[in-house]
Amino acid sequence: MAVYRRGYQRYEGGLTSHLERLMVMPRFSWARMVEQKFVLILLVVSMFWPLLCATFVYLANHSELWQGFDTGFKKFLAINGKFFSVFMKVQSGYALILASVAGPGLIAPDLSNNALPLYFSRPLTRGDYILSRMIVLLGLLSLVTIVPGMLLFGMQAGIAGGDWFWNNWYLGAAIFFGFALYIVTVSLVAMTCSAYVKWRVVAGALVLAFFFLLAGASEMVNSVFRVEWASVFNVGYAMNTVWAGMLDLAIPDEKPGVLECAVFIGALGAGLLALLARKLRAVEVVK
Amino acid sequence: MTPLSQIWVIAKMELGRVFFSRRSFWVYLLALFPTVIFLGHAIDAQLKVKRWGGERGVKAELLDQAQSGMTDEQVLALVGKPVTDQTRKRRARRDDDPADKQPEVRRYMMYFDGKRRVDLRFEDGKLVSRNARVLMNFEDDRRVYAGMFQYFYLRLGIFFGCLGIFINLFRGEMLDRSLHFWFLAPVKREVLLLGKYLAGLIAAAVIFGGGAMLSFLAMVLPHDSVEVQTFWQTIGTEHAFWYAAAAALGCVGYGSVFLASGLLLRNPIIPAIVILVWESINGFLPDVMQKLSVLHYLQSLCPVPVPLPTEMPAVLKMLLAPAAPTAVWISVAGLLTLTGLVLFAAMQAARRLEINYGAE
Repeated sequence: MAVYRRGYQRYEGGLTSHLERLMVMPRFSWARMVEQKFVLILLVVSMFWPLLCATFVYLANHSELWQGFDTGFKKFLAINGKFFSVFMKVQSGYALILASVAGPGLIAPDLSNNALPLYFSRPLTRGDYILSRMIVLLGLLSLVTIVPGMLLFGMQAGIAGGDWFWNNWYLGAAIFFGFALYIVTVSLVAMTCSAYVKWRVVAGALVLAFFFLLAGASEMVNSVFRVEWASVFNVGYAMNTVWAGMLDLAIPDEKPGVLECAVFIGALGAGLLALLARKLRAVEVVK
Repeated sequence: MTPLSQIWVIAKMELGRVFFSRRSFWVYLLALFPTVIFLGHAIDAQLKVKRWGGERGVKAELLDQAQSGMTDEQVLALVGKPVTDQTRKRRARRDDDPADKQPEVRRYMMYFDGKRRVDLRFEDGKLVSRNARVLMNFEDDRRVYAGMFQYFYLRLGIFFGCLGIFINLFRGEMLDRSLHFWFLAPVKREVLLLGKYLAGLIAAAVIFGGGAMLSFLAMVLPHDSVEVQTFWQTIGTEHAFWYAAAAALGCVGYGSVFLASGLLLRNPIIPAIVILVWESINGFLPDVMQKLSVLHYLQSLCPVPVPLPTEMPAVLKMLLAPAAPTAVWISVAGLLTLTGLVLFAAMQAARRLEINYGAE
């Protein structure tokens, strides 16, 4: 019988759960992403710094290895907020490069091939689509940020003992939530660039340019106007300041504080989400 | 038609696209941003003189009497009410070292004497730092411009601008699926490449060279007319020329690299990242390796040397060893040689290029 002569009725079989539907796209995207050689190379390279830090933690906790050194060296080997702050700054650089390589491939191909109507004709909302694309990037970025960070914290807590953990549990929380905030922000930037620039290559350049140019522009405003407030528009600085607040580190008085930086990051995230929601529609008007 | 006229025809056809496409908007924004900021600075300085100079302005002689060690109350009694007065109390931190005593209260006051802005910083009620500067200081502004030019314009503005313009020339056409039209034209691939490069170069040099000149003028002109006139009569024209030349030569160097990477690699972001990292760590590398970067030669052309960033950690400052500037003619010849070599490699790639749009 010809297809058009068939009668159709509503599907009454079992429905997959919302979570299952949500995880379909990440499953396929993940496989495609880890096929990229450069992503794998970056993942491997980004493990060197955590390995070095792990060696540092081991050395710091074995005082018999550095007996005879002065108190300055003892201070240098302290595992505290400053140590984790340096660790986080370095790893965030790798995360940014990873996001600029892997992020643009998430949405740009769907837009340039007009595939969004196909997604949205299924039981997926725009929020689901954004979330499912973001899960992939968050998963990848957490491999170079949260995972090594928590392993390092766990290693230190394991070697130093329960007392150290009870006195410094906030460092673990700061690493987790600080990195989580960072990778969500970077993912949102990467996805928005990917949505607005249909070419993957250009979108990747735009992700890098977004962070570097904002940093450069804010420094330029600071030096021309002889002020410090423009640092808040430097995403890297704003994120470091929020981390410093979480890690209970001192922040220079003249520079924008934790609150200002947190407000900027929040506003940036909200703005990026609004831009994404505006761009991701099941229809496209061709002028 | 001779190859040269073919190159010019292709360049003319491409020029319109490079200058007026929607994507070029971002390049213009990048190039003109410093101009806007310097103009904003001039307006801001005038507004501040008006706002602070009235009843809140204080006498310069009184301000000069405020010396280190005086208490905040003494300064207030001597000079009067400041324009800005902020107090911050220090919060105890978990990993505070009891041996390392930190001040508990920090106070900041700012005064204005009609010309100078004076920042006073107090720690636990004692004046510890006094910083006075003229609102519109020509010498300072020239140094700031030099820093802006080297750190923002060359490293970021021209870098990303050229990335956008030159990668677009071939890779963009592949993504638009229109490159085969060019390949159907009866011209050699090398001629096509040079034509496109010329178009990109003219556009980039005009936009960024023009941007550098405009921002230089925006920095110079709002200052005292006598100072400005003296500057133009001595070193001003020379400085303006070298800034514009460095910007244009930056476009020559980065343009060739990005054009070639757009042809040689499917994902030109990877070389862009590598170049960005290479140029960023350039100052930390040995002398010989520093000379293997576009930035080193461009910095050698800049008329005003830039001091090291003050906020750089001491460890990094120790490692930082910028190579001595190269002679001007070597810098120009080095950049042109590098460009020639890169373009030659790009020509080889263009000759072998087979279009497979499906793979893009």
